[in-house]
Amino acid sequence: MRALQLAEQALAAARGEDAEVVVQSEVSAFARFAASVVHQPTLIENDVVQLRLARDGRVGGAMTNRTGREALEELAARAREAVASAPADADFPGFAPPAEAPDVGGYDEETAGLSPEAGAWLAAAAIEAAQPFSLYGYFTSGLTELAVAASTGLALCHRATDAEVLALAADESASGYADRAASAVARIDPAAAAREAADKAAATRGGVQIEPGPYRAVLEPYAFAELLEYFALDSLSGLGLLDESSYFVGRLGERVFDPKISIADDALDAAGLPKAFDFEGVPKQRVELVTEGVARGVVWDRTTAARAKDGTTSTGHALEARYRRWGPQALALSVASGEAGSMDALCELVGEGIYVTRVHYLSVVSPREGIVTGMTRDGTFRIRDGRRAEPLVNLRFTVSVPDVLAEVPGLTRKRSLVSRAQWYDERFAFGYTVPGIATARFSITGNGSAPGL
Amino acid sequence: MRDLCRTAVDAALAAGAQYADARAVVQRSQQISTKNRRVETVNDAESEGIGVRVLVGGAWGFACSRRLDAAGARDAAQRGAAFARAAPGNHARALAPLEARSGTYRTPVERDPFAVPLADKIGLCLRAEEAAQHPGVKVTTAAARAFRQHKHLVTSEGVECEHEVVECGAGVDAIASGDGRHQVRSYPSAFGGSSAQAGWEYVEALGLEREAPRIAEEAAALLRADACPSSMTTLVVDSEQMALQVHESVGHPTELDRVYGTEAAYAGTSFLSPSDLTSLRYGSPLMHVTADSTTPGGLGTFAFDDEGVPARREPIVADGVLVAFLTSRETAEQIGRGAGGSMRAETWNRMPLVRMTNLHLEPGAGTLDDLLADVDEGVYVQNNRSWSIDDKRLNFQFGTQIAWEIRKGALGRMLRDAVYTGMTPQFWGSLDAVGGPETWTMYGLTNCGKGQPGQSAHVSHGAPVARFRNVQVGVKP
Repeated sequence: MRALQLAEQALAAARGEDAEVVVQSEVSAFARFAASVVHQPTLIENDVVQLRLARDGRVGGAMTNRTGREALEELAARAREAVASAPADADFPGFAPPAEAPDVGGYDEETAGLSPEAGAWLAAAAIEAAQPFSLYGYFTSGLTELAVAASTGLALCHRATDAEVLALAADESASGYADRAASAVARIDPAAAAREAADKAAATRGGVQIEPGPYRAVLEPYAFAELLEYFALDSLSGLGLLDESSYFVGRLGERVFDPKISIADDALDAAGLPKAFDFEGVPKQRVELVTEGVARGVVWDRTTAARAKDGTTSTGHALEARYRRWGPQALALSVASGEAGSMDALCELVGEGIYVTRVHYLSVVSPREGIVTGMTRDGTFRIRDGRRAEPLVNLRFTVSVPDVLAEVPGLTRKRSLVSRAQWYDERFAFGYTVPGIATARFSITGNGSAPGL
Repeated sequence: MRDLCRTAVDAALAAGAQYADARAVVQRSQQISTKNRRVETVNDAESEGIGVRVLVGGAWGFACSRRLDAAGARDAAQRGAAFARAAPGNHARALAPLEARSGTYRTPVERDPFAVPLADKIGLCLRAEEAAQHPGVKVTTAAARAFRQHKHLVTSEGVECEHEVVECGAGVDAIASGDGRHQVRSYPSAFGGSSAQAGWEYVEALGLEREAPRIAEEAAALLRADACPSSMTTLVVDSEQMALQVHESVGHPTELDRVYGTEAAYAGTSFLSPSDLTSLRYGSPLMHVTADSTTPGGLGTFAFDDEGVPARREPIVADGVLVAFLTSRETAEQIGRGAGGSMRAETWNRMPLVRMTNLHLEPGAGTLDDLLADVDEGVYVQNNRSWSIDDKRLNFQFGTQIAWEIRKGALGRMLRDAVYTGMTPQFWGSLDAVGGPETWTMYGLTNCGKGQPGQSAHVSHGAPVARFRNVQVGVKP
């Protein structure tokens, strides 16, 4: 694979020093549309090489997207200056040893060969299906290679594809949302996503306010996944334990959630957006985080595992080196399914409450307590007599995620892959596989704008 | 690089484009972060390439190449044009007129940050952390950054301009933890500190070592502080949090592309409509907000934006009334007013979007003490900790790192976990005092997200302290 060849060339430029090279290659296309017209079509091709050197516990790195021999020599020179400048870290664990990466799939020939024009046609199919609503969103597909090589003999490469359609159907007084993502374009149906968004939008007209306070609630997978993401930032990370910013501090082994809740991180799941290894070249593994409501563990990278000083090892969750200060992250959360046959069945379990399709602009208010605030959008409804009822305006919620998960009347049998990629920097597709969820506790703290543009 | 841009524009026109622009970018950045007195990150990154935007049959196309050679430039232009032809929808895009011009801009720099040894930058971070050591503090972090972007822009309408922008920034944090609580204090601002378009002299002048003991003491004290009570009360906001308030509740809603819905699927839209221009009361008559892409030191300062529109200073809200939007040439033409001037792309492989430049709340008169003097009961908040606002930029909730109660015109006990919430026009309507120039400080942030694929813009906001009446404070569940 080309990325691995490039990584090995960069490694050679390090001339025998302790070195690690990460290469990210991307060929991608975005057909981003608004009001049913493509307005930000973007074609990207790039190769980024990150070289880190280590000497006696000192570590420094450099990056480039120039890939000629001279450029790689200059890259090595800048990395040498960086490593020479850095004080030693007694806990530096060294670069990862050679490893076999699991064969996780995640590559699809058709997606790899999808032309930008074909992507535009799939966007057009979604736009057509959303009528009478205008459609906002995008169709994107990409081919990526991630290679990690090190002077330890490590040499791994994973070629992957991904495709996603994001569909927001809206007019001045209505809006609905749907999203589909997969590693193979054949597994997503842009028109179906657009129809789901349009059907949802049609039901949102005339949203009314409600009195702030505690409610029972049903969250669609879109909303549940994003809520979990913000909780996971601190609470499911080894760094959160070390810094004491995780809700799991002092709670591992204890019951923290409803027994219906089991959460793992599973990048090996071929039905998701699988990954073979992390950005340190540590093979991915399934990590049990919560089992039947009991906190079992968090995810680690090599740096945080070494600093734990208790024999902890990396679980294969390192981010890119430049973002590693955020700690290891669970980027393939997988929540066990429940028994409910549908979202409507969850409404029956809730009886009286609110129904949330999607959430927006979340922010962590208190990481240690797992408190998150945000807004609902694109499909918020009242639940009355066990059925989805009148539409509501967008609602502000401020919730303790542990509280939301403390009493769970049910989860759906069906789980959905919810993309969490925001497509900043180098392309890295990832998402969570989650069911819909009913909760007995969801705190609404204010009313916002009505649905629609 | 200029010749490459010309090559790309020529290739785009040959491929049928009615308009084309090309940006060739070479950039370098250094990022240093330390934590608990050891180095977390020392990275020196470079990136280069050319991005070509074309208008074919009224439809946009954009493609890029990391190869800064004629073949890469031509290839990007041709792929962009082909993609534009395939774009679905009824396209009828027009651009506001723009005079052909050329020019150059370079950030005034006293000390080139890339001439400062990495060891010195690391040393600065470690000294700041050392100064933040405190028995009650569990974690200390410090960060410094340097950035240089050299950019050429050539358009098919005769614009040719060159920019060399230099930025520097730094910050220090102290985090206390205990009894199930987690409290953070930052200087000069949260989430990596503050940046400016300047040389290393900006970082040296911040005085991280000087301020670190104070924030460490405050972080530790917050563990013992009372929680901010919930009430409708008078709120006095420091300049750093005001900068974020301006960013989220004035900057984003006045981006005209959001008003027209093009960010609906991600960042959201706006509670404003085009017809609100010159008529909507945004806030009290004390509210004056200015977009100024000429502010010395601002991260949004340039000679020309990424469409070649000259920089300018322009009121956005005057006497509390909306008087202008942030625009591109396309949205300016749509609304029939202005010429654009806010189009910015993160780098060579992203399309320009309507972005804030430097957006300031203009100062009024008086010191912090003057603003406090008229408060019988209230809360004074400092430094952002959490932020959330709805998709129309109406309902917001912001949390701050630290607060003090105000009683009879003076600061009282320290309060933790302060949060305030409101609706944008009502909140700004409750503005009843704006601090003077001596309280006005400019902050630069580098993580303003927008677009799909995502782009992080570098923007600055200057703001004084300000006072608001009847604000809902404290909404923790």
